[in-house]
Amino acid sequence: MTAAPDAAPGAVLPAPRRRPLVGLARAWRRLPPTAKVGAAILLFWVVVVLTIQLWPLADPLKMVGRRLQEPSAEFWLGTDALGRDVFARTLHGAVWSIPIAFVVVACAVAIGSALGAVAGFFGGWWDSIIMRLVDVTVSFPPILLAMAVAAMLGPGLLNASIAMIIVWWPIYARLMRAQVLEVREREHVEAAVAGGAPSGRILVVHVLPLCWTPTLINATMDFGQVVLLAASLSFIGLGATPPSPEWGSMISEGATRFYNWWIAFGPGMAILSVVLASSFLGDGLRDLFDRRSA
Amino acid sequence: MMHFDTKRGLRALAFAGVAMAAPLTSLPALAQGSDTLVIARSMDVNSLDPQRAFCDTCQFYLTAVYETLVTLAPDNKSLVPNLAERWEVNDDFTEFTFHLKDATFADGSPVEASDVVWSFERLKNLKGSPSFLMDGLVGAEAVDAKTVKVTLEAPNGEFLNKVSAPYGGIVNAEVAMANGAIAGEEAATEDKAEPWFLANSAGSGPYMLKAYSPEAELRLGRNDAYHGEAPGFSEIVVTQISDAVSQAQALETGQVDIAMQIDPDTASSIRSDDVTTEVVPSYNFLYVGFIPGAKGMKDVLTPEVRTALALAIDYEGVLDFTVGGAGARQAAPIPNGFPGTAGLTPRERDLEKAKEMLAAAGAEDLKLVAGYPNDNIYGVDFNIMMQKVQQDFAEAGVELELKPLTWSVWRDELGAGEWGVTAIYYAPDYYGSGQYVSYFGMMEGFPWANRAGVGDSALVRNETEEKLYAQALAASGEEADAIYAKIAEEMMKEAIILPLVSPNLVLAYRSDIEGVRYSACCNLPLAEISRK
Amino acid sequence: MLAYIARRLIAIPFLLLGVASVSFLLSQMTKGDPLAALVPERMMDNPEIVAAVKAQWGLDQPLPVRYGIYISNLLQGDLGTSFATRRPVAVDIAERLPATLELVFAAMIIGTIMGVGLGLLSARFRGSVFDGLARIFALIGSSLPIFWSGLILLYLLSVRVALVPGTGRLPPRVEPPPDVTGFYTVDALLAGDLDLFAQALAHLALPALVLGWAVSGVITRLVRSSLIEGLSQDYARTARAKGAPERVVLINHALRNALIPLLTILGFTFAYLITGAVLTEAIFAWPGIGSYAVRGAASLDYPAIGGVTIVGSIAFLLANLLTDIAYAWANPRIKVGG
Repeated sequence: MTAAPDAAPGAVLPAPRRRPLVGLARAWRRLPPTAKVGAAILLFWVVVVLTIQLWPLADPLKMVGRRLQEPSAEFWLGTDALGRDVFARTLHGAVWSIPIAFVVVACAVAIGSALGAVAGFFGGWWDSIIMRLVDVTVSFPPILLAMAVAAMLGPGLLNASIAMIIVWWPIYARLMRAQVLEVREREHVEAAVAGGAPSGRILVVHVLPLCWTPTLINATMDFGQVVLLAASLSFIGLGATPPSPEWGSMISEGATRFYNWWIAFGPGMAILSVVLASSFLGDGLRDLFDRRSA
Repeated sequence: MMHFDTKRGLRALAFAGVAMAAPLTSLPALAQGSDTLVIARSMDVNSLDPQRAFCDTCQFYLTAVYETLVTLAPDNKSLVPNLAERWEVNDDFTEFTFHLKDATFADGSPVEASDVVWSFERLKNLKGSPSFLMDGLVGAEAVDAKTVKVTLEAPNGEFLNKVSAPYGGIVNAEVAMANGAIAGEEAATEDKAEPWFLANSAGSGPYMLKAYSPEAELRLGRNDAYHGEAPGFSEIVVTQISDAVSQAQALETGQVDIAMQIDPDTASSIRSDDVTTEVVPSYNFLYVGFIPGAKGMKDVLTPEVRTALALAIDYEGVLDFTVGGAGARQAAPIPNGFPGTAGLTPRERDLEKAKEMLAAAGAEDLKLVAGYPNDNIYGVDFNIMMQKVQQDFAEAGVELELKPLTWSVWRDELGAGEWGVTAIYYAPDYYGSGQYVSYFGMMEGFPWANRAGVGDSALVRNETEEKLYAQALAASGEEADAIYAKIAEEMMKEAIILPLVSPNLVLAYRSDIEGVRYSACCNLPLAEISRK
Repeated sequence: MLAYIARRLIAIPFLLLGVASVSFLLSQMTKGDPLAALVPERMMDNPEIVAAVKAQWGLDQPLPVRYGIYISNLLQGDLGTSFATRRPVAVDIAERLPATLELVFAAMIIGTIMGVGLGLLSARFRGSVFDGLARIFALIGSSLPIFWSGLILLYLLSVRVALVPGTGRLPPRVEPPPDVTGFYTVDALLAGDLDLFAQALAHLALPALVLGWAVSGVITRLVRSSLIEGLSQDYARTARAKGAPERVVLINHALRNALIPLLTILGFTFAYLITGAVLTEAIFAWPGIGSYAVRGAASLDYPAIGGVTIVGSIAFLLANLLTDIAYAWANPRIKVGG
């Protein structure tokens, strides 16, 4: 949650309309090197998730050797209390953490942006109701809200995801509302309104396409934070449940056997790499598109 | 008993224990010669009111602060006088007369029959967790200031054992009443003394409660007015350290004198010469329970299938996996060493026979779900234990899906019959086999019969057990032992409760400490501990 | 401006009511059995005990009645009674809050010093290798899973080299100083006990450092960007034109520019950390309100979670308000509201 959104109204990408691929390539070239590293790390994890079955890894749930062995040539990150291969478990952990973070961010963006756009564009009662809802939600300290919701729903990654969506949607609602409020005043929108176009259509066609940049930058940054919070919830026993090799719950297993440092080492590095990568990439994107808050 | 705070993630809470020697600071005060005893443990206190509390920490706290009429000798079998110097029992075990010795409470007032009557009535009427100790109490009356007569509605050959439980401790009635305690029928709703008991004590034991800070520290001070021999320390501090590794560390560096929850694995890594570790068998055990009354399980978990599954488990392997072999197998759900267990033989694995029986029962592609608390108890991680069971079942062609749950969800789903297999644990409250029969017996109205039948206890009812239990309660000595042995065999035949591990207990303490022992009723008798 | 502040102040009680109501509703939607925290497993099948406990804790009342009782108790400052500790939640929180505050203050001090220092240097030498490294260092700080970095640092610094003591606030044998502020370090000094002070400080050092690093990440970035902005302002150019060295321009002029945003982010961070230190407290067995909430969440002790949530929300709302006011005051151009 350290990536608190600097609500940056007016930061709008001059949309590269005609040749998006060329635009993308140009944007890539202009990214700072750290952002490229970030993108590469994220890509690596996505590839791991998609191809995990093809890797020559031990079964993450099976006992493959003596328990609590130190890292060795055979077991790169040692074995845990059940004799399972920590390296294999760490890579398999991505299959839990990465897709969940995608889903949480996507849902938070979808719900938050939709409500924020409606609030900003239609104003009035819509605005009041939605924004009061936002106000109450952000009055909760985020981690406590996530903990409370996850605790009440019962442990499990699905419930933890719901808890995280509840924590994150208001950020996107505020972001989108601010964007919509700004874009709504523009000439081409006013022209469309004067032309008598239906308001829903104006919102979708004329306003929304210009509002996405801050949301995307934020979503990139939040991706890592979601991985972090999901692992935190699992760590305190409110997320993934054993034996699934989720990173947070692996660290929690390691924490009780803390002379056997290697049990927690791999998953911790994995979380760090994802969070760092998404911060790098998000930072780079912000530098690129939104010079005001650089 | 319960460890609400030991949920898996929470175990990490204090994993690192307390300070090692800290070069940044002056060396912390070491134990030598200190008049304070420091004990490390993960505290599971749910109350410090003797008639409400029900936890492992409560057992040794209450034993140090309150005294019972009779208590369990160090042989963990025989009962010896405590506040009662002698007692008489009528032939059918329904009338018990206790003669009190001259003893005083910490405030100097004498321990009298009226205090005993008051304490027993409150224990019954509060309807707190330990109230089962007074089940069947018709009345307690003070014959004179030093004589109490207790009457039961039905024979109970174990009643003396029951009052030896720490929850049977005698409270200074006058002081307690002055602070809101009530013993009458309305106690369950009107008694307001629980907060007072969290900060004060009113017993006749060698120690008194000095201060309690939940999940941090429990401080006892010496009762200077103690009527018996003065205890070894002026102060005892129980400090919260959640996991075994941290406790071991604190012990090795002399930060604490005793570590109560070191598992055998961790104990073997202790290298310090200043630490003594003793491994003793415990009376605690973890078990798998089948729930034939669960949804869709009625025609699946038949007695034949249950027996086959019991044969599929590699019991030796479970011991190795969970406690590195430092434990014992247990035949029936009555701990080894308790009445009736002497001649029992634990189950052996017989995979071929298990497969045959499963095939004969038409249950080759059996799929089961096990819901269990996601916890670590007595050094055993339920997940590790259940993953071993999962592997063993798989070898017999049975697929077991594991569902580790929080305690609260586990209870919900257990009550709803969501799954056919569970796993949990038990620790004794006093020395006696009756508590096990009245918990695990498949008898009308008793806890596990309701659980296994999910409300329909007829599904699992065993009338032989009911008859035998009535006989056992009306008997004593060897006669009772023989009946309990028969009940144990019945319980094994039912194959509903499968004890898997009775983990050994590690007594770990600084070598200048003496008098540390494990008691079946009272856990760790603090009054016996002293510094050499 | 005043009208705006008044409007925000009026909104706070309503938001708190919303928070309290949502907490209450959440606690009623629990999947698990809240009696789990009250009735031991062995006794849960005993209907008499269950009924007695329900009556004692008011769980047998219908929902609207319980809501009414909950809200009216809240208005009197009664946060309910914890299922686990059996004491009033307000008492538990009051006992634990000083520990959290001590940790948070220490972390903020460390974070501010590190953050301002790194921010200054990387603004001064912007574009250099040092700048890059400082930014990465800051990013790592805010990206680290504290429950992991704390673990690894404890292993390295406390087990392997015994440089710092382990978890908790003091060694178990040591009695805390007489309670004045509730901060062991301060109280030890007030009592004139340097030895105790050193021990308390040694215990505080590692958790504060781990948390402070995370704080420094935010601050470094903020200081750096507002300094760079300040350096490009007219007054900085004027100062340079008058021959002031870059160092002086940076500190005398640009840093002033960074002061208001810095103060507001500190206020916000402080409010956030009161509950955001949850995992740090968990890993270092720090007996604050965070570890209290974690324990509460795991055992469905919802009076406990609710209490911490409300205390955290009050801090959060006030800090948000102060942040907004400070912003509005510093940048009168910004339209307040919305």
